Amino acid sequence: MSLDHSLTLPETLRYTREAALPREDWGSNSRVAPRIQFLQRGRLHEPDRMKSNALIRDLGRIVGSDAVLWRPEDLMLYEYDALSSITQPQAVVFPTSTKQVVGVIKVASQAKLPVVARGAGTGLSGGAVVAEGGIVVGTSRMNKILEIDLENRRARVQPGVVNLDLSLAVSDDGYYFAPDPSSQKACTIGGNVAENAAGPHTLAYGVTTNHVLGLEVVLPDGEVIHTGAKCWDRPGYDLTGFIVGSEGTLGIVTEIIVRLSRKPEWVETLLAVYNSVLDATRTVAAITARGITPAALEMMDGFTLRAVEEATHAGYPMDSAAVLLIEVEGLKEAVEENADQTEAVCRANHAREVRRAKSAEERDLLWRGRKNAFGALGRISPSYYVQDGVIPRTRLPEMLEFIEQVGKTHQLQIGNIFHAGDGNLHPLLMFDARDKDQSERVVKAAKAILSKCVEMGGSITGEHGVGIEKRDLMPLIFSEDDLEMMGRLKTVFNPRGDLNPGKLLPAGRLCGELRVQVSQGGEV
Amino acid sequence: MTAAVVAAHSGLAAIVGAERVVADESARATFTVDGRVPGLLVFPQSAAQVAGVLRFVAEHELAVIPCRNATKLGVGNRPRRYDIALSLKEMNRVWHYEPADLTISAEPGMKFGDFLHFVGRHGLWLPLDPAGGGRASLGGIVATNSTGPLRLSYGAPRDMVLGMRIATSEGKVIKTGGRVVKNVAGYDMAKLLIGSYGTLGVIVEVSFKLFPLPVELGTFVIPAGTLGIGRDIRRRILESPVNPMRMVLLDPVAATLVRRGTPLAAEVKEPEIWIECGGSEKVLNRCARELGELGKAAGAPVQRLEAASAEGAWARIGDCHDCLCEASPKVTILKVALPGAAGEEFLSRANQEAASEGVRLASFTQGGVGVIHLGLLDETAGLMALISRLRSAAEDLGGALIVERCAPELKERLDVWGAPGDDFGVMRKLKAAWDPKGILSPGRFVGGL
Repeated sequence: MSLDHSLTLPETLRYTREAALPREDWGSNSRVAPRIQFLQRGRLHEPDRMKSNALIRDLGRIVGSDAVLWRPEDLMLYEYDALSSITQPQAVVFPTSTKQVVGVIKVASQAKLPVVARGAGTGLSGGAVVAEGGIVVGTSRMNKILEIDLENRRARVQPGVVNLDLSLAVSDDGYYFAPDPSSQKACTIGGNVAENAAGPHTLAYGVTTNHVLGLEVVLPDGEVIHTGAKCWDRPGYDLTGFIVGSEGTLGIVTEIIVRLSRKPEWVETLLAVYNSVLDATRTVAAITARGITPAALEMMDGFTLRAVEEATHAGYPMDSAAVLLIEVEGLKEAVEENADQTEAVCRANHAREVRRAKSAEERDLLWRGRKNAFGALGRISPSYYVQDGVIPRTRLPEMLEFIEQVGKTHQLQIGNIFHAGDGNLHPLLMFDARDKDQSERVVKAAKAILSKCVEMGGSITGEHGVGIEKRDLMPLIFSEDDLEMMGRLKTVFNPRGDLNPGKLLPAGRLCGELRVQVSQGGEV
Repeated sequence: MTAAVVAAHSGLAAIVGAERVVADESARATFTVDGRVPGLLVFPQSAAQVAGVLRFVAEHELAVIPCRNATKLGVGNRPRRYDIALSLKEMNRVWHYEPADLTISAEPGMKFGDFLHFVGRHGLWLPLDPAGGGRASLGGIVATNSTGPLRLSYGAPRDMVLGMRIATSEGKVIKTGGRVVKNVAGYDMAKLLIGSYGTLGVIVEVSFKLFPLPVELGTFVIPAGTLGIGRDIRRRILESPVNPMRMVLLDPVAATLVRRGTPLAAEVKEPEIWIECGGSEKVLNRCARELGELGKAAGAPVQRLEAASAEGAWARIGDCHDCLCEASPKVTILKVALPGAAGEEFLSRANQEAASEGVRLASFTQGGVGVIHLGLLDETAGLMALISRLRSAAEDLGGALIVERCAPELKERLDVWGAPGDDFGVMRKLKAAWDPKGILSPGRFVGGL
């Protein structure tokens, strides 16, 4: 760690450009585009060498010396998640068992170091990076599927199991794990639990919290608790539901009981092509108004789909203004009816063409285009900043016009990829991070869009989490009393703030102060 | 009534208005919980009034139980104290209803039946069949996470609540979640309130996501012969392409009860599986074909019922408490929560245990969900021991047992929730964080919280 890291830096944003890593075919949101880097007041620990050596030795005794990273060049990778980079941890450890996690947490506690759990690092809000130094608990060696119980439709897994691997493990028997983030080939179920992750198909099947029944959790004092159960309705408070989505600030999850879902008999995938983006958004509410709940209802605007088509060759029409990717699933007869009705609604809303995937390959190709969309945009812009606002779905047309206006005002190209059925927006703001002026405009534009979401009765994050990114925007939607109660409940689990400090809740206790900071164009 | 409660009358009247604080003895008697009669009834009309009442109650160290009409307050341990019944019956407005968004925010005192009627005009519903049916209140349904067999396809209130506003014991009104269908901003405090039985705070507004009503409904009944055949049929249905909306296994006593008073009235001799599917006529015909085939394979004929006559029976299934009370006014009702596939195994053990104790049973098993409502129709000296043997059986199978209804004297001697687990320490601290003075339904919840 170099000396200037220990300087107290002003609490401002800084943008850096990093070399783009090779694109992987899972279409990560994370590894492609250079990202915004947050720097904040450097409360960086600089333990003296002896103390540091002792720490590494103690950690090695618990997890084995081959499961501890401590050299700065090794730690560098763990500075990042898909959003940000702040500072290096003191060490990264890879436990294999709950017992080892308990041991690590105790060593960290003695050394007065924070602990941050980390899955695959695909998160988009800075949840898995250290904000104030500390020890990162990587879950990549806790990747066992402990139990599959098909008759009860349950699985018990360690947190490091990759999302898609669980679905693959039960696929031959006709089951799958429903939450399907676009990063599902890489992201872990532990990370899904921490962020309450979602995906395109959560429109019909719900988000992670609807599929998790029980947890084993290590609390910061080393106590291990078991919440929930394989069955529903275990008496007591729903701690499982409270911990899912708590972004690693309440405990370290070491085991997860999840619900498995039965694969549908029939699937139809439709691609509706529009000459007007407003017509596409108007179709969304019209579909639900007809009593149809598609399994997925995604929208991409023309700018985005051209980038996607160039990268994926999925067959998206290059000259259209927007497409809707719609999937209906279930009993064959029901799917056929719903697909016909959906097609009629699309046409009534001026879709110029409605295609249906004729084979599983065609369907996969359409989805590959969607799931790789972030990556595709990374090919055409040196940097982008993805947002995650939510609005009532009926306000989509109005919101699109607003976003277009914001783009014009701030002279930015904005691509739009929406989980449209949920009203969950992912505007992608293109910029060049080397250009300070552009970078500042991006932050302002993103904040304008989020503020509009709040004004429309929506939320500042639908699935990516608050993390570091939005913690100081929390006062936009929550009052001081709301945040005070959240802080109090956090203290129940994490009294000294050792777990994932600097995330989810505004940094200071005085929200008035934070609002000033936000209005000065702080972090977004 | 204690002097402190008498003295509270004018203070509460100043908050909610004199006409909404009631001390009349017969009125108070209708709010009796486990033999305890509240000293005062309070009927606030707004979130601010609820908060004001709670602040007052905390300042004067009284105990309050939130409810609507106190008709479903049988579940829970005997309250340690009960000074004031906080009835939310006058809070029954709807806020922020946008049918095209499939979202709604409403107040807790609204009756579920009125709510369904309200959103039904737009072809929408909240797919729940809670205890108490249409008479249940939104607040009560959420506070108890009340579900029936529809949970199989739609989930529980826990899966439908988007956010809520909560009056805290400190007299504040806080918000969690929001009104949009996807939201991960902040801790999901609503999860703690859902199923907390009024021990953490008072829900003053709740937002739900709504669902489109099925075009048509079809009910199918399959006589199961034995529990073994019942298990076989349940497995086949869950593995078939048919997605039942709800499915319930009724033992002969329960099946007879359910049919009573409907056009389907009959004395039933063997267990029955009732299945409801939703969709167009074409979809229902396909379901009928699939069920017919799997029934044939299991040796059981499948009967399709008229939707109109089935409706009443499903209402009675959802309201199984009332059914069981009809069967025997002294009934003890147990709710057994099990992994979905363990239902028949538990029932077979329960039948043996009950037979040896000379107690008749009636059971409603939510197929695929794993929740059983079990009525013990007779009172015997060995009832306590029988309940504890049944609890052990449930726990052996990875489940839990809650006594939802029993004689008050039995309640003095048993913990209706069963022993808490290793997460109880956290629960106790959470209760203290929400309700530091212990004024909300004290003693009623798990572990005496």
